[in-house]
Amino acid sequence: YTGDGDSNAVVNFERTPEIYGKMVSDKATAAKFRLEHFYKSQVSECADRLGRLRNLEEKLRNEMAPPDKMEKELLALGKKESDFLRLRRKRLGIDDFINIKVIGKGGFGEVRLVQKADSGQIYAMKTLKKSEMVMRDQLAHARAERDLMAEIDTPWVVQLYYSFQDPTYLHLIMEFCPGGDLMTMLLQYDTFSEDITKFYIAECVCAVEAVHNLGFVHRDVKPDNLLIDGTGHLKLSDFGLSTGFYKTHDSSYYQRLMETTGAPFDLDTVKAIDLSFTQKDRIQTWKKNRRAIAYSRVGSPDYVAVETIRQDGYTKEVDWWSVGVIMYECLVGYPPFASQNSPQMTYYKIMNWSEHLNFPEYSMSWAAEDLIRKLICEPKDRIGANEIKSHPFFQGVDWSSLRSIRPPFVPELQSITDTSYFPTEDLMDIPDQISYGQGTIDEIHKDLAFVGYTFKRFDYLSRKNAI
Amino acid sequence: MSFFNISKLGRINGSLKKIVELPRYVDQNEWLAVNTFDFFNYINQFYGVIADFCTTRDCPVMSAGSNYEYTWTDSQKKEKNVKYAAPKYVDFVMTRIQNSLNDESVFPTKSAPGCEFPRDFINILRSIYKELFRVLAHIYWHHYDKILHLSCEGHLNTLFAHFICFAREFDLLDKKELAPMADLIAELEYQMK
Ligand SMILES: Nc1ncnc2c1ncn2[C@@H]1O[C@H](COP(=O)(O)OP(=O)(O)OP(=O)(O)O)[C@@H](O)[C@H]1O
Repeated sequence: YTGDGDSNAVVNFERTPEIYGKMVSDKATAAKFRLEHFYKSQVSECADRLGRLRNLEEKLRNEMAPPDKMEKELLALGKKESDFLRLRRKRLGIDDFINIKVIGKGGFGEVRLVQKADSGQIYAMKTLKKSEMVMRDQLAHARAERDLMAEIDTPWVVQLYYSFQDPTYLHLIMEFCPGGDLMTMLLQYDTFSEDITKFYIAECVCAVEAVHNLGFVHRDVKPDNLLIDGTGHLKLSDFGLSTGFYKTHDSSYYQRLMETTGAPFDLDTVKAIDLSFTQKDRIQTWKKNRRAIAYSRVGSPDYVAVETIRQDGYTKEVDWWSVGVIMYECLVGYPPFASQNSPQMTYYKIMNWSEHLNFPEYSMSWAAEDLIRKLICEPKDRIGANEIKSHPFFQGVDWSSLRSIRPPFVPELQSITDTSYFPTEDLMDIPDQISYGQGTIDEIHKDLAFVGYTFKRFDYLSRKNAI
Repeated sequence: MSFFNISKLGRINGSLKKIVELPRYVDQNEWLAVNTFDFFNYINQFYGVIADFCTTRDCPVMSAGSNYEYTWTDSQKKEKNVKYAAPKYVDFVMTRIQNSLNDESVFPTKSAPGCEFPRDFINILRSIYKELFRVLAHIYWHHYDKILHLSCEGHLNTLFAHFICFAREFDLLDKKELAPMADLIAELEYQMK
């Protein structure tokens, strides 16, 4: 057939990709997938660039800027855009960063303080192992984390500047919060006064609200993920379980847990045991295991909302439950459903939350207890951002200027690489250098899962000295 | 050349012009550099798909159909118009392009002052585009059956159309170089009207 009906010839062409074997067809799939991703990002980059130009033009018009100033600013934007294009050709890699110290560990990765070799800038770098993520079906996790952090632009969320990958690891380069996290602070102080609690929970409410306003549910709000920046204000990090894009890996996890546990606990005995402990004892037991739990794969179950465990509902209300749990912990010293023996027990208590939500005598004011009860409750009764903000507990809080007031604690830093607010002695066994041993995934289809992972943020360019 | 299926081009049809044009206020060299970087990577990838079949035995000369044969000239080694088998030829040119992309004095990536594009940048680009075009032409003429079996034609055509559009916008390819692909180019132009 040699006619001019181009598509007919193709229609009559019988495709038999099998004849080339799996390697070749995998390569083809990979090439197509990457190219599609390329065009998608080309189109959106083009639109973003145009948007930035239009915004500036409009701003200059509104300011009635004189022509020469106008030209100057437009050229300056052009310069930034050009620099950004240049950066796209640059393959930042692990060699561009000097490891200073391991500062944290979570379920799936380690966090290091690093310094960019050429600029001397300091960042926190989170490193996740690809092979483990593929194995554990954590891809959606990393992807969601990257997407969310990349998209968000609010002071309440830890800023992601850059991400890159090598055959073994994914690396996220983000803003370093030198004040440590709320978990570490709680471990240090046992409890906070109501005023201090008011400050941190108010900030936490703002951070969660900021995430919700962008259309995301965080799903993993806990003290480990509330970081303290250089000025002492809070920032939310770690979007491991955020929904909005992907179903998460762990709903079946709860299912399995609940199935294997059934109802093994005699509630009365549980209560009796709990009551036999003084609040002080309970704080001590809680603290003893807290860090180990934070480092484990499963993470702390204490902040998970009841409907998540029941697997009916992953809407933003789950985050408000977690805020309630954190508030309780700030005032009492341990979270309401803490158990000495097992995460199963904690799940069990959460399932039966109304029987296990107790308030130790004199631990808090009426207003505080009332707010907690309106957060730790069935989703239909739970209050949302607006009601929370107008609750009597927050009386006197000026919500619009919260980030500009002086926090109760401001980190005192000796240098830009000061890590004294991090429990680094617990992390001694993790080498400062990242090791490249086994565990590389090189099969094309697995690697493909990471296409699009590399990310560079445009507006870091506008921030002084960033990267 | 009448069996090319261009129907799938629709996917980026309208946007092609937009993604090719130099964005306002952006430095032209920077724009050329980043696009060249991308073309190299994606063309390399598609060649990689058929590379197992592009062997010294099956492709003893680097050609685009029976009318166009390409020879290799290495000015440094004083080799002129040497005939190489296609895989060897492609390996040579792709390595050379890769080296030049990694060469700070040709494609600067640092942001320090003084890290600028060379004066003859456009000439370097023109030689890169010529070679990339030849690799594409070879894939089309000698390996299109595999591309079809693997259902890659829509993607390859998109990449090709983008490449041609870009080269044309910035005058990076000689008209006479395009001859072996004239039919497809005409067809693409018709489709994109
Ligand atoms: N940007 C940062 N600045 C300072 N410290 C950080 C930063 N990010 C994380 N950390 C520290 O590292 C700890 C672990 O980080 P993170 O919770 O993100 O790890 P993870 O592996 O994602 O955990 P998981 O996914 O199980 O929640 C945090 O509790 C905090 O102490």
